[in-house]
Amino acid sequence: METEITTLLFGSFLLLLIIGAPITVALGVSSLVSFVVLGDNPIKFVQIAFTSVGSFPLMALPAFILAGALMEAAGISKRLINVAESFAGPFTGGISAATVMACLFFGAISGSGPATTAAVGMLMIPAMIRRGYDKGYASAVTASSGGLGIVIPPSIPMVIFGIAALGMVPPPEAVAEHGTFQSVSISKLFIAGFVPAFLIASSLLLMNFLLARKRGYSGNAEGWSMQTITTQLYKGFWSLMAPLVILGGIYTGFFTPTEAAIVAIAYTLFVGVVIYRELTWKSLFQSLEATTWLTGRVLLILFTATVFGRLLVENQIPAMIAESMLDLTSNIYVIWALIIFFLLFVGMFMETLATILILVPVMLPVAYSVGIDPIHFGVVMVCALGIGFQTPPLGENLFIASGISNISIEEISLRALPFAAINTITIFIIAFVPELSLWLPRLLGY
Amino acid sequence: KNFKIAVGDGAGGTQEALGKAFVAALVENTGGAHTGTLFLNGQLGSEQDTVNDAAMGLLDFSILAINNVTPFSPSVGVLTLPYMMLSLEDAETLTQGPIGQELVENTLRDSGVRILGWAYSGFRVLTNSKKPVTTVADLQDLVVRVPKNEIMIATYKAWGVNPTPMAWSETFAGLQTGVVDGQDNPYITVYSMKFDEVQSHVTNLRYLFSIEPLIVSEAVFQGLSEEEQQAVLDAGQAATEFSAQYLREQEEQIKNVLVERGMQISDPADGEQEFIDLATSEVWPQFYDSIGGVEKLNEALAAIGRDPVATN
Amino acid sequence: MLARIFNNLESLICRTLLSGFVLLLFVQIVAREVFGYSFSWIEELSVYMFVWFVFFGASYAALKGAHNRVTFQFRFLPRRHVKWIEAFADLFWVAFNVTFIWLSYDFVFNKMNKFWKSQTLGIEMKWVYVVLPVAFTLMTIRILQVNYIKLVRGDDVSDPDQIDLDAIQAETPATRVQEA
Ligand code: NA
Ligand code: NA
Repeated sequence: METEITTLLFGSFLLLLIIGAPITVALGVSSLVSFVVLGDNPIKFVQIAFTSVGSFPLMALPAFILAGALMEAAGISKRLINVAESFAGPFTGGISAATVMACLFFGAISGSGPATTAAVGMLMIPAMIRRGYDKGYASAVTASSGGLGIVIPPSIPMVIFGIAALGMVPPPEAVAEHGTFQSVSISKLFIAGFVPAFLIASSLLLMNFLLARKRGYSGNAEGWSMQTITTQLYKGFWSLMAPLVILGGIYTGFFTPTEAAIVAIAYTLFVGVVIYRELTWKSLFQSLEATTWLTGRVLLILFTATVFGRLLVENQIPAMIAESMLDLTSNIYVIWALIIFFLLFVGMFMETLATILILVPVMLPVAYSVGIDPIHFGVVMVCALGIGFQTPPLGENLFIASGISNISIEEISLRALPFAAINTITIFIIAFVPELSLWLPRLLGY
Repeated sequence: KNFKIAVGDGAGGTQEALGKAFVAALVENTGGAHTGTLFLNGQLGSEQDTVNDAAMGLLDFSILAINNVTPFSPSVGVLTLPYMMLSLEDAETLTQGPIGQELVENTLRDSGVRILGWAYSGFRVLTNSKKPVTTVADLQDLVVRVPKNEIMIATYKAWGVNPTPMAWSETFAGLQTGVVDGQDNPYITVYSMKFDEVQSHVTNLRYLFSIEPLIVSEAVFQGLSEEEQQAVLDAGQAATEFSAQYLREQEEQIKNVLVERGMQISDPADGEQEFIDLATSEVWPQFYDSIGGVEKLNEALAAIGRDPVATN
Repeated sequence: MLARIFNNLESLICRTLLSGFVLLLFVQIVAREVFGYSFSWIEELSVYMFVWFVFFGASYAALKGAHNRVTFQFRFLPRRHVKWIEAFADLFWVAFNVTFIWLSYDFVFNKMNKFWKSQTLGIEMKWVYVVLPVAFTLMTIRILQVNYIKLVRGDDVSDPDQIDLDAIQAETPATRVQEA
């Protein structure tokens, strides 16, 4: 019975995806069909619809989306990127290195990969082209660094991972074998992503340096301008404070992630209205509106993915998958490799948040049963899906970079390959050395 | 048949202990014809969801905190009034005696689920990270986390403090980082959640005795033969008795471990009288209506040999 | 006028709800950190507002054609064929929604426990859950409306992700230098 239901559930899900049904519909309809076949009453869907969405920590999602949109409208993002650009110096690949840095800076206020690419790319791609960079290369650097937006906190995918993993208990056999696992919290995930984000940024900088040297992109002739840097730092003071407000609040434990986002919204409104005076009623309404459809679209998937996950749990399918995987191998490094390559593959076709919602109920039990820490697993999962933004056919960062530079997606993704490669190597390092993710949360007492 | 049993808490608590005892007794009473699988940690939905699911026959059994039954059958609320029970024996008398039987019938009538047995988790003791608390005055400058529960909130307000409602999933982090200073929960929970890592003082408050009913879907129950129904009822009774015994043994052991780990345990001054007076005089009258009148309260008080409150 | 209000219905509702719960949460933070006071009803009320926001937001996303689909398999098919295939897939969506509307109506008005009240607000949960049949009905209308626009009127309802891009391009003339 279990195998039949598994086949029916996943089969109808894939079929619906292929005929172009929205992901949420594919999840909902395949679950509904399976419910009926199992003889269960689908009225269960109603309560799941309400309770899957009605949780306080989940409110961090619209709050961070709104905060990001408002920071854009208030002129905070722009100044942050200007600061990063001012550091582009006389060394090889200086301006493209500044692009990577700008993504890291911007990532510290935004929780989304495509938003990071759009905000940074808008300013930096033209700047790179003006300095004689190949348009394809300029776009590729930006699309590849945009993924940093979800690895460095705050991160919307991490919020979603936290929500998905929160209700999942480690199987008793795993606890018996590996001891107790730490509990998942969004704050912990945010802190855990910090060091890996810097590692990935460093690897991108290294690749950029090698490629820029080969292509002969020297730095600017004038060298560093202390004056420009000081001016930009001065102009960007209130923008640079924004990440401090968000992360400081969470890291010191003053606020929950949801509250940190609310405080960020208040801060942005203050800076946008009183100090920069760039925030208009129109852009405020637009920010509210964008938050509406973005949240509605993701959380409708949360509802149907929860029903889908409930079916898996009630039929004990994740346990079966974990078992058959462990029959294959119990070597943790091989399991990690399988997980990462699978995520990279799925990341090519699927939207990130939906992927997390669908895969966490299936993959986390596997991770538990080989003794992988859930926070560590979450960080690696988000990092790996971050690469998906730059891989075709569905690569949100590619689309945005291509829109800005007018270079074809094929060419950009080809130029982005070396970055994807070094990024993947870094993810393996992050996966194989758990301390990279787990050290900072422990240091801060989480 | 293999019944699905939803359990709100995770492994290692009294809910799981009750569930295991129930399954063992069920297997024995039915000669192996029926058994059950526990789905821990709210895997089958939040505790309140499981009441609706069971009422509609979508779920077989659920073990959940009493305050998540109250919204569906308000008269159960008499068991959740502060200082209603002052000992485990009071709790046993109330739940297993005629008062308990009436509540079982009311719940069946109101919400379509049948209470089969009770897990006893003990008093919710107050823990905090700041100082020993023995008087109401000591409480005043503490930020205390409470669940989103009107009676608990009202009780703290009666003591003159504004508690902070916070989701359970955020509580450990909240205590650790000092967003809140303290919380209240039974010893078993304090221990299993490792609150001793982030809290240093315990006060043996007795304002709420945690009881957690085991419910069965009446639709499922009526689908069983008379013999099977009796087997289920007996298994519930056996599990209840096991739970009381389990609490007695566990609580003593846990207190010792917590003290070894450096927690300081204190009793409220003056036999808790100040706490009791404030809570009963202010909170009880607010809930007379919802529990079905002050008479219901007095019946319950009489059953455990306490003085009734004045009726007017 | 009426048509304009109807087409902006979810947007209006959601902007109000979103501003509302953000404001409530802000009040809660200030009250707690500055005055050491907590409003016990804020958390529950804001969560319910959030749930309403989400389901009306999902309906709004349907109106904007924003619900993610996997589309790479259609890359070599002409757009006019793709929209018929997607319309066929949307039939499943409509069927799902109609089922769900019936289930949620039945749940809210027949099956749900009649005593069930919210803990800190005291309102009957029925009136909180009623968002489900309402929002899913509205969403179903939007699905039909979008397909009508696409198939009958022949207009394109493009993914709003793309619209964002146009705005970006409009703001950065420097990027257009080469193809000018
Ligand atoms: Na970020
Ligand atoms: Na991709």
